[in-house]
Amino acid sequence: MRRVAGAALLVAAALAQSTWAPRFEVGGAFPNLVLLGVVGVTWTLGTRSGLVWACVGGLLLDLTASGPIGPHALALLPGVYLISFWIRNLEHPNALHVAVSAAVTTVLYSALLVLTDNLVGMPVPPLGVGAQLAFAAAVYNALLMPIGIELVRRLQSLVRSGPQPA
Amino acid sequence: MHGGRAQSRSTGLFLFLCAAMLLLAMVSQQSWAAGARGAAKSALAPAEGAMTSLGAQVDRVTSVFGDVSSLRADNQRLRAADEQLRRQIVELNAAAKENASLKQALNFQKASGHRMVAAQVIGRGPDSFSRTMQIDRGTGDGVQPGMVVATGAGLLGRVREAGPHAAIVQTLGDPQSRVNVYLSKSNLQGTVSGGTTSLGMEVQHTLGVSASNGEWALTSGVGGGYPRGFVVGEVASVTHRDASTSDEAQLAWVNDPQSITFVLVITDFLPS
Repeated sequence: MRRVAGAALLVAAALAQSTWAPRFEVGGAFPNLVLLGVVGVTWTLGTRSGLVWACVGGLLLDLTASGPIGPHALALLPGVYLISFWIRNLEHPNALHVAVSAAVTTVLYSALLVLTDNLVGMPVPPLGVGAQLAFAAAVYNALLMPIGIELVRRLQSLVRSGPQPA
Repeated sequence: MHGGRAQSRSTGLFLFLCAAMLLLAMVSQQSWAAGARGAAKSALAPAEGAMTSLGAQVDRVTSVFGDVSSLRADNQRLRAADEQLRRQIVELNAAAKENASLKQALNFQKASGHRMVAAQVIGRGPDSFSRTMQIDRGTGDGVQPGMVVATGAGLLGRVREAGPHAAIVQTLGDPQSRVNVYLSKSNLQGTVSGGTTSLGMEVQHTLGVSASNGEWALTSGVGGGYPRGFVVGEVASVTHRDASTSDEAQLAWVNDPQSITFVLVITDFLPS
């Protein structure tokens, strides 16, 4: 049940990412709903779940983007791995930690996406433009992350309180 | 002890998934995998189309209050009509100039129009780095990678990838896009490149002639990448550089990618 709910959430996030999210563009950047979902899952369900959902969500993003299949998934994984150290070394995480982790994950994701695209021969933006876009996206995602993690937590409690198998 | 083992298991999973995704990216980038990749991407196209329609319906429902909906529709219709008229004026002026010297060489059929396929925009690139759009027409409709994409207002971009029922268009807003153009009044040549907010143009110097605000930039056809005569944008500002062989200009693009819902794919022109 939890997996089905998670998969449905990620598919919805990936579709919304490529259809609705660009409408909310500010400073050239728009929210990355899949990244927010993956960071939320990592903080609530742990690293291994975060890694698996980063892979699934990234592959869904790859299906809506130009170029090969894999770069978005690859770019999401290191951010989740970094958060695992954060979780391990923190007694009581608060909204600020979660927001900062979303910003750091966004920067890592952006850098790795550009690097991977370059590696497989895809066009990449100039360094200055790329840095500006990554910074704007990091701020955007950090601001939305507290809402994102609240949604993930509510969904988790909904799934837990749902009908249990006999 | 237990935490250390869990972290080690996570590290193993992380490394395995990274290696798998890198391998998948390299394999799916190969030319022989293009068909399978296109088919996989087309699979999501119906869902994206449905989401886009749903978004449009939500827009309509929320704009029921007041006359926002009708005003917006009027505004859109008038803007489209205005853009079309402006394009026609620019193209007619440019064509008239050319006709004087090139009339005999012109092939009427080539100059009069192209074969086109209309397509609906069903999605946009999921990240801010690539300015792409997904459309609901693919190889099954005659759309091929490299084909030029336009709107009623002017040039939009080029088809980058095509699957059976969907294709991905790289717009002129993509930082990597390049188009050779000429200016409608001064006839100066230059290259337009994409940017996050506006299009930039490198204008080649000619003795005694300089670019000015309000001029229209049209595709020059130089290099064979795009057909000649498509409107790209209007010169918004020019920075003269005495020490250089070129000036820098900013163009107001005739297309607003955020508001485009339908595009035209030109099927009888492929870049040389």
